[in-house]
Amino acid sequence: MSLRHGLWQDAWRRLRRNRAALASGVLLIAILCAALLLPLLSPYSYYAPDWDHLIEPPAFRGWHFLGTDALGRDLLVRTLWGCRISLLVGIAASLVTVTIGVLWGTIAGYVGGRVDALMMRSVDVLYSVPFIPFVIVLTVLFGRDLLLIFIAIGAVSWLDIARIVRGQTLALRNREFIEAARVAGVGTPAMILRHLVPNLIGIVIIYATLTIPTVILFEAFLSFLGLGVQSPMTSLGSLVAEGAGRMQSYPHLLLVPAVFLAAIVYAFNYLGDGLRDALDPRDR
Amino acid sequence: MRRYLLRRLLGAIPTLLVIATLAFAMLHAVPGGPFDAARPMEPEIRKAILAKYHLDEPVWQQYLHYLGDLARGNLGPSFQYRGTSVNELIAQGLPVDLAVGGTALLLALLAGTSIGLYAALHRNSRRDWLLMGLAVAGISIPLFVIAPVLVLVFALKLHWLPPGDWVAGSLAHLVLPAVALALPYTAYIARLTRGSALEVLGSAYIRTARAKGLPLRVVMLRHALRPTLLPVVSFLGPAIAGVITGSIVIETVFALPGIGRYFTLGALNRDYTLVMGITILYGALIIACNLLVDLAYALLDPRVRHEP
Amino acid sequence: MKRRATAALGAALLLAACGSGAPDAGGQPARAAGIRVGTALASEQVLARTLDAAPSSLDPAMVTETSAQHVLDDLFEGLANLSPEGHTVPGVARSWETSTDGLTWVFHLRHDARWSNGAPLTAADFVYAWRRTVDPLTAAPYAQAVAPVLNAYEIATGKRPVSDLGAEALDAHTLRVRLSEPTPYLPFLMTNAWMYPLYRPVIEQYGDAWARPGRMVSNGAYTLQEHVIGNRLTMERNPQYWDAANVRLRRVIYYVLTDRNAQSQRYLAGQVQFVETIPTTDLPWLRRELGEQVVVRPYLGTFYIGVNDRLPPFRGNPQLRLALTMAIDRDKIAAHVLQGAGYPAWTLVPPLDGYQPQIPDWARLPDAQRHQLARQLYREAGYSAERPLRTELTIISGDPVTTLTYEAICAMWRTVLGAEVGLHPEEFKVLLQNNRLHRNILFHSAWIGDYPDPYTFMQLFKTGFDLNYGGYSRPEYDALLAQAALQTRNAERYRIYQQAERFLNADGAYIPVYYYAVRHLVKPYLKGFAPNIVDRNPSRHMYLLEHAGE
Repeated sequence: MSLRHGLWQDAWRRLRRNRAALASGVLLIAILCAALLLPLLSPYSYYAPDWDHLIEPPAFRGWHFLGTDALGRDLLVRTLWGCRISLLVGIAASLVTVTIGVLWGTIAGYVGGRVDALMMRSVDVLYSVPFIPFVIVLTVLFGRDLLLIFIAIGAVSWLDIARIVRGQTLALRNREFIEAARVAGVGTPAMILRHLVPNLIGIVIIYATLTIPTVILFEAFLSFLGLGVQSPMTSLGSLVAEGAGRMQSYPHLLLVPAVFLAAIVYAFNYLGDGLRDALDPRDR
Repeated sequence: MRRYLLRRLLGAIPTLLVIATLAFAMLHAVPGGPFDAARPMEPEIRKAILAKYHLDEPVWQQYLHYLGDLARGNLGPSFQYRGTSVNELIAQGLPVDLAVGGTALLLALLAGTSIGLYAALHRNSRRDWLLMGLAVAGISIPLFVIAPVLVLVFALKLHWLPPGDWVAGSLAHLVLPAVALALPYTAYIARLTRGSALEVLGSAYIRTARAKGLPLRVVMLRHALRPTLLPVVSFLGPAIAGVITGSIVIETVFALPGIGRYFTLGALNRDYTLVMGITILYGALIIACNLLVDLAYALLDPRVRHEP
Repeated sequence: MKRRATAALGAALLLAACGSGAPDAGGQPARAAGIRVGTALASEQVLARTLDAAPSSLDPAMVTETSAQHVLDDLFEGLANLSPEGHTVPGVARSWETSTDGLTWVFHLRHDARWSNGAPLTAADFVYAWRRTVDPLTAAPYAQAVAPVLNAYEIATGKRPVSDLGAEALDAHTLRVRLSEPTPYLPFLMTNAWMYPLYRPVIEQYGDAWARPGRMVSNGAYTLQEHVIGNRLTMERNPQYWDAANVRLRRVIYYVLTDRNAQSQRYLAGQVQFVETIPTTDLPWLRRELGEQVVVRPYLGTFYIGVNDRLPPFRGNPQLRLALTMAIDRDKIAAHVLQGAGYPAWTLVPPLDGYQPQIPDWARLPDAQRHQLARQLYREAGYSAERPLRTELTIISGDPVTTLTYEAICAMWRTVLGAEVGLHPEEFKVLLQNNRLHRNILFHSAWIGDYPDPYTFMQLFKTGFDLNYGGYSRPEYDALLAQAALQTRNAERYRIYQQAERFLNADGAYIPVYYYAVRHLVKPYLKGFAPNIVDRNPSRHMYLLEHAGE
């Protein structure tokens, strides 16, 4: 136990030294706070149209700090709501992905034999299925519930992490503490949940962090196709997709959400890289 | 070697079968049919149309019918483009995607590996941070934002290149879509290469070579390059398959007649045969590319051996 | 002497400079966007125009969408044709007459009408084509559009043999058409794709795959040269067309650009001269940039909210429906959401020649009073602030302006009535299916008329009609429709239709929102185009004037 404790402290120390990762973490927390608090403080709602203030460019003073959209709704409030939804979708889908991937990988790696062969063969086959029509079919089948969007995204992204976790499990399987537990009579489910998974936390955290920006961008892609989060609810992806069409006429509609989107994705990427360096150190 | 290849190819058939079945089941599970439209249609007329395309038969029968055609290489008629077969649509669109995608991946490979290697060799310098920062930008900004920006700047404002469309053999029409598509791949390959290069450079045998007094660049090119490129090769496998089946973003923004948009349009219009045809094509490409990747691994990494 | 000459020269030059924005043939100065337009024809008579969607087929019997009709307007010609203003004029038929009971029409075909391969075009070609369309074996999706022709409906539904169709070739150049009921708008129907003639030998040789370049034989002003499916079509002037001498454009290129922004972008880049649709949200900006090149005019279509007549809360509750329809500020939607590209609608049928919508009295009330009235009806319907209406409005997903419109409507319902109507976007095909199963309570509806006559809209609420998704059924309404069908004169028919519409509005069978508008971009040097309510703009009439400064 104390060995693991020491590893975590080392990791945290390494992470702190990585300025990019630290700055990213701070930025994400700042955005999260803003996304949760600012809409409560702002006099504007994210859905109520305001006919007198249609598509105003950013003024940087007065109330509509960053301008308004096509229905007169405050762009800053909508963008922060978009951050909320995008982060929610990203984290939730990432959790789904990681859960399925870790369970699949550890079971395949630990149980081995025919079960392993079957499970990994399925992964191979699923890799060969193009995910775009699959996701379209899922979103169509299950309506446009927010919950189901991230289940759909999560369901197509778990393959990579399953493979990696299986690899790690194979390596861990032959370690002494696993042998000891087996001798002690620990059954397979308990083995997986109590002994293997905790040792994989490092990998899991890294991949979960790196999956979040991928998911957020994938939701943006779905919005581009018209299948993402639907109005009046909005995500950064749908804001960017709407704004991309008006680049020439009203650039602020694209720039504001795009900057937030890029910032969040950047931050998660640097944070994920930092975590990887901290938890899985090699000479980088 | 020949037996290995044969085994892999034979193993591909059940995989393709599973893919076809999955796709078939998925598509038929979705509500709405290819001939539902916002136009009135008397029940008898609907029945006549469905009968013509065997869509009134029980699902398992349609499935067997489809498999029979598939065995003969016939992917069936398209439901949304009446009078055209899926084979013809793919034949029309594939060359476009091959040209654009092939060029894009080539550019991405050259640029990405160069950038990644350069960054690795100048690790933690300002140049490294700048290049990797740009690389993250390449994977952070969605393609459907980058591509229209390129069109706006180079085609609409500067008038250097056409804003889209496809004219076979025209280099000018190839440039913007290929460059736009290459950007995210370049970014990803650059990051991948840098990470891989750093790992390889830190390994024992490279350190031995350095200790012998060889300059870094020589070490890089002679000893480290091949193992560095292994993950890139791994990545290229599915990337090739993805790029050949087209990017719907690129095809939409540049109005290219490729097969990528058939995935989305086909799914939304319930053109079962078209979506299945391309799904099977994609599956076959993935299998073929994975095989090529494994063969390339054997060439690049002498530690890998295949059973004779 | 010299000084006066110089002055005269200077004055002359000055005058010439003033006149350099030469008025074009239409008599308007063409200064828009810095393009200077001359009066002579341009040397390159090639038109590039856009399409909103790819035609699913170029076989006239198989098409249902408007994009396909636009393309076929150039490739084929029916018994009648359309002027730029959208009026029917002689086409393949140079004249026609009708019997007094309106049930028999005789068309006299031109003797110089030819197919693009030189073969003479005869009345038999029309009979062949129409029989093929209604034949169940052909599986034409819109076969029932041939319905006014006697027995067409029965043949399409398999109850009669194909030979019973009420069209006969009396001789090579005389076609007699018998109808099931008087149809004063028959000449217009003859301009639609499913009534075009077809060239039998090519279809028999190639089957379903006949409609391709190199194979297709057509009779219109242009022939198909290139077709990149889903992307682009190119057509060349047809020298065999009987009026080829008056067709000035020698080539027309259609670009399929489903991304509406791409259409206006290409226009601004000078690649296309005619844009089919511009995004509503860009209208203010485009109007500032391009001025008169932006053409927004009424279109024969209505956007309305369908109401489910069979399920609560709207079943048997006309006050609730009226409350909802009164609470909508249509002028705000037309002005702010649609940017003027839409006209407030209080009835089903858009304004037509001789048919004007009857605006209800409550529509003329000032807003505050109208809202008050709506709230009163809402209370009468059994709802209040404590017990608000909670229901769902199902709409199509993926179209930003439609979504904005519905968001605005729901916001109005919330503000004025306190009703909580949630938006439920559904993918198009799923929406269609749920509508067909009468599952949706409030749902998005839009109908573009097939011909400029109220019946194309009125049929939507006939009992049992396929698109009557709300399940509306009123015997008096059906009876009025049947009565109107027997009239031979439009004045009588329109009067009866007005009566029928009153039933729809009193019952709240639907909630009208706005009438559609076409949104085109037209270069100032492109002539021969006139906006019309059916939005048919054949390239045949168009030509390009000399221009510079693009």
